[in-house]
Amino acid sequence: MPSLYVHVPFCQKKCNYCAFFSIPYTGSKTFSYLQGMEREIHMRLGEVSGKIASLFLGGGTPTVLSAEELEGLLNSLELFAFSPQAEKTVEANPGTLELKKLNIMSGYGINRISLGAQSFNDLLLNRIGRIHSAQDITRSVKLIRQAGFDNLNLDLMFGLPGQTLSDWQETLQKAVDLEPEHLSLYALTIEPGTPLACSLGEQSYEQSYSLGSAVIPDDDMQADMYELAAGYLRTQGYWHYEISNFARPGFECRHNLSYWRGEDYLGLGPGAVSCLNGMRCKNVEHIYKYCRLTQQGLKPVEDSETEILTQKELIFEYIMLGFRTAEGIDRELFARKFGRPIQDIYGEVLTHYIDKGIICSEKGRIKLNPAYYFVANSIIKDFSL
Amino acid sequence: MAQASTKIRNFSIIAHIDHGKSTLADRLIEYTGTLSSRELKDQVLDSMDLERERGITIKLQAVRIRYQAKDGEIYELNLIDTPGHVDFSYEVSRSLAACEGALLVVDAAQGIEAQTLANIYLALENDLEIIPVINKIDLPSADPDRVKREIEEVIGLDASDAILVSAKMGLGIEDILEAIVTRIPPPQGDDEKPLKSLIFDSKFDPYRGAIPYIRVFDGKISKGTNIKMMSSGKTFEITEVGVFTPEMNIVEELRAGQVGYVAGSIKNVGDTRVGDTITDADCPVAEALPGYRKAVSMVFCGLYPVETSDYEKLRDALEKLQLNDASLMYENETSAALGFGFRCGFLGLLHMEIVQERLEREFGLGIVTTAPSVVYKVNTVNQEQVYVDNPALLPEEGDIVSIEEPVVKATILVPSEFVGAIMELNQEKRGTFLTMDYITSSRVSLTYELPLSEIVYDYFDQLKSRTKGYASLDYELIGYKEANLVKLDILINGEIVDALSFIVHKEKAYVRGRRLVEKLRSLIPRQMFEVPIQAAIGSRVIARESIRALRKDVLAKCYGGDISRKRKLLEKQKEGKKRMKQVGSVEIPQEAFMAVLKMDD
Repeated sequence: MPSLYVHVPFCQKKCNYCAFFSIPYTGSKTFSYLQGMEREIHMRLGEVSGKIASLFLGGGTPTVLSAEELEGLLNSLELFAFSPQAEKTVEANPGTLELKKLNIMSGYGINRISLGAQSFNDLLLNRIGRIHSAQDITRSVKLIRQAGFDNLNLDLMFGLPGQTLSDWQETLQKAVDLEPEHLSLYALTIEPGTPLACSLGEQSYEQSYSLGSAVIPDDDMQADMYELAAGYLRTQGYWHYEISNFARPGFECRHNLSYWRGEDYLGLGPGAVSCLNGMRCKNVEHIYKYCRLTQQGLKPVEDSETEILTQKELIFEYIMLGFRTAEGIDRELFARKFGRPIQDIYGEVLTHYIDKGIICSEKGRIKLNPAYYFVANSIIKDFSL
Repeated sequence: MAQASTKIRNFSIIAHIDHGKSTLADRLIEYTGTLSSRELKDQVLDSMDLERERGITIKLQAVRIRYQAKDGEIYELNLIDTPGHVDFSYEVSRSLAACEGALLVVDAAQGIEAQTLANIYLALENDLEIIPVINKIDLPSADPDRVKREIEEVIGLDASDAILVSAKMGLGIEDILEAIVTRIPPPQGDDEKPLKSLIFDSKFDPYRGAIPYIRVFDGKISKGTNIKMMSSGKTFEITEVGVFTPEMNIVEELRAGQVGYVAGSIKNVGDTRVGDTITDADCPVAEALPGYRKAVSMVFCGLYPVETSDYEKLRDALEKLQLNDASLMYENETSAALGFGFRCGFLGLLHMEIVQERLEREFGLGIVTTAPSVVYKVNTVNQEQVYVDNPALLPEEGDIVSIEEPVVKATILVPSEFVGAIMELNQEKRGTFLTMDYITSSRVSLTYELPLSEIVYDYFDQLKSRTKGYASLDYELIGYKEANLVKLDILINGEIVDALSFIVHKEKAYVRGRRLVEKLRSLIPRQMFEVPIQAAIGSRVIARESIRALRKDVLAKCYGGDISRKRKLLEKQKEGKKRMKQVGSVEIPQEAFMAVLKMDD
């Protein structure tokens, strides 16, 4: 079953580490965007067959839209046929969340909120350019519960400039105190071209990065933070079901799992990526281009980025994504999907890693030993074909 | 007509690396209209890309220039180019032997350098007429009078009629051509005598086989001549005779005094050795031209393909390079760490670097090079003498009575203010002071006896950096001397990596070992486990470092919009990994193997 992603490319203010497509929120741009979206929905409705298993409204910041705009967007998405149990998530920023918006969402069947908390330390929040405070997070969580949502995710970040292990521990504790069903923990990644990358300049890694006087935790420190979090959340009843994701049993994010299981997805909105039947395409990262193309009745994709994935690429992606998850890869499913057993393709490298205990093979599934999650790339790259 | 033509002049150009030899050659060719300036890619004579980039001549070239002199006569000028590096001094001496004269080109601002001096002595030994040319007179810092004095004082050559030119601006070119005609004597020799010709270079042509470049001294050679190589006695039938203009142009014959090439389905450049004499097989001369010797490898190293499966490709590539470069030696070698590869011998370090670079560029091969080594003479307890060019093959410590190392006599020319720096360097390099002469009040010539291994190990870089690039160096092998030498092994993850072993003076072993393990720690990326790195002499560890285990290598997020980019990132990482050499369970990047060579203080 395919899933649906909708990109809302607006933010009140872009965070300095962010490499996603997002622009400052203005009324006129939002108008063009919503118009384009309306047309894109009509145009691409037919690309997905069968009921849609999940919806994810991400950004940017979907909650930066006004209550009316949000309602308009959710309303036009009603055209899609969702399965009755569909998981429908909206990303929210603690700085832009209001009860009114939450009630509208809930009215349109949104059943999961993903809140970009990032940290409970105001100094750190400020340093990475977040628009909200720790208090805003607590307030938002209360509103979310008040509006009746029983599936809440908090995004948290570690490895922030100047962050210490005890800062991180405190953030984790405060997050857990709010009893979210789900937690995503992301190591700060310095993406080229971001303001953060620019302000770090040409510092050599040897000396470790620092932002002003705030040192960015090095790999070892980040690894410690990761281990600290994984251990702590386990004791708090969260299950580590993907490299960066933890959930109460039954609350794993189905939308994201569908990516990791290699299922098809349709992405709408500027900058959104779709992958359907082995073809991946990306929408233009520009509001007016997006608007104009849809107006001309054209798919708003960036042609130069369209890829027809080869069998080898499909297989490698399946491995790359599958090894991120605790469920790993089902041998039988793999063989059915690609027409060949996995050991036919990866015999030597697979055996090597299984012998070393880095990959576990049990009950017809193979998975990455969680002790190696934080060095997953080193292992996964060996599966590139 | 028996006597060689009086209208021929054979000459070469002697110059320091960047004193403008190639530009001058271009101007001469351009001036005489041998090539139109459109055809004239800058610096015609340096035909390998690598040469043009490095601004040095590696392979010799020769070109025939037609020049109508002021006396109204048309002359045939043969410019025989010489390589400008100390590694190739034998080749230089052979091309000089093919000439009657030489242009000594000196930079008007820089003055004479050690290299030039060495080549001038070679030219004087060959009795050449030398025409001093002072180039770059257009430079604001040009001081032709000072340079003239220097030429007179240092070489003892009359520089009063030195020609002042600017090859760049095209000034003085005609003066040079006239001087060549009037001052350089025409070749001696007799057309009617049996063929006697000198090979001063050769190259390999895929259609014509090995092509010797020759200077005919006596007799003549044409299509159909049966020739004999006097060093080997091998015979070949000539199928083509030609000259360089600078393209290869077929001619009827080459007569006494002339320069050109011959072809005769000679399959191997090894049969066209520089310095060898070609004679007529049916009517041979009794005695070969003097001065022939086989190329001697001074520096050795192991070359291994990064990808084990590229072994065959590497062998083919070496074979092809050797077609053009008879001084390149190689034989099979196996390393415990690196697998199958080749032990290669080179004329010097530059020669080694060039071969390496050509393998990578022209053949697209990833190469791992082991530390360069010289040839040690090992006296064993069994009273045997073993030559060792591969540290891994050094006999057991207990079997060794003594080790002798090759020593050179090095001549260094340097502005006097750097004398202290040079003495310091040579002291660190275990040098023995021989002489010091003030050639002018501001320039000094120093001679030292130095172990060759010290020159191989970052001597040039040090020399350059300590004298701001002003010093120049020339050296010649003078023999072997006993020294207190030990083999230093490097252990990575507890295993000796034979490719990193090297032989070093005992007093320097600790510092070198210490530095090398530090360098290796910074060059080898973190692995999935902790990797100890040790330097050891025999079983005694003298330095130790460790690379901590890799702890973070992960993509924090991987959702729908990230997948393609992340996949490509990982594919790229895998490509990067291919350039690593797997030694035991540790992945070692290529540069680590070169670290032995390049360790700055």
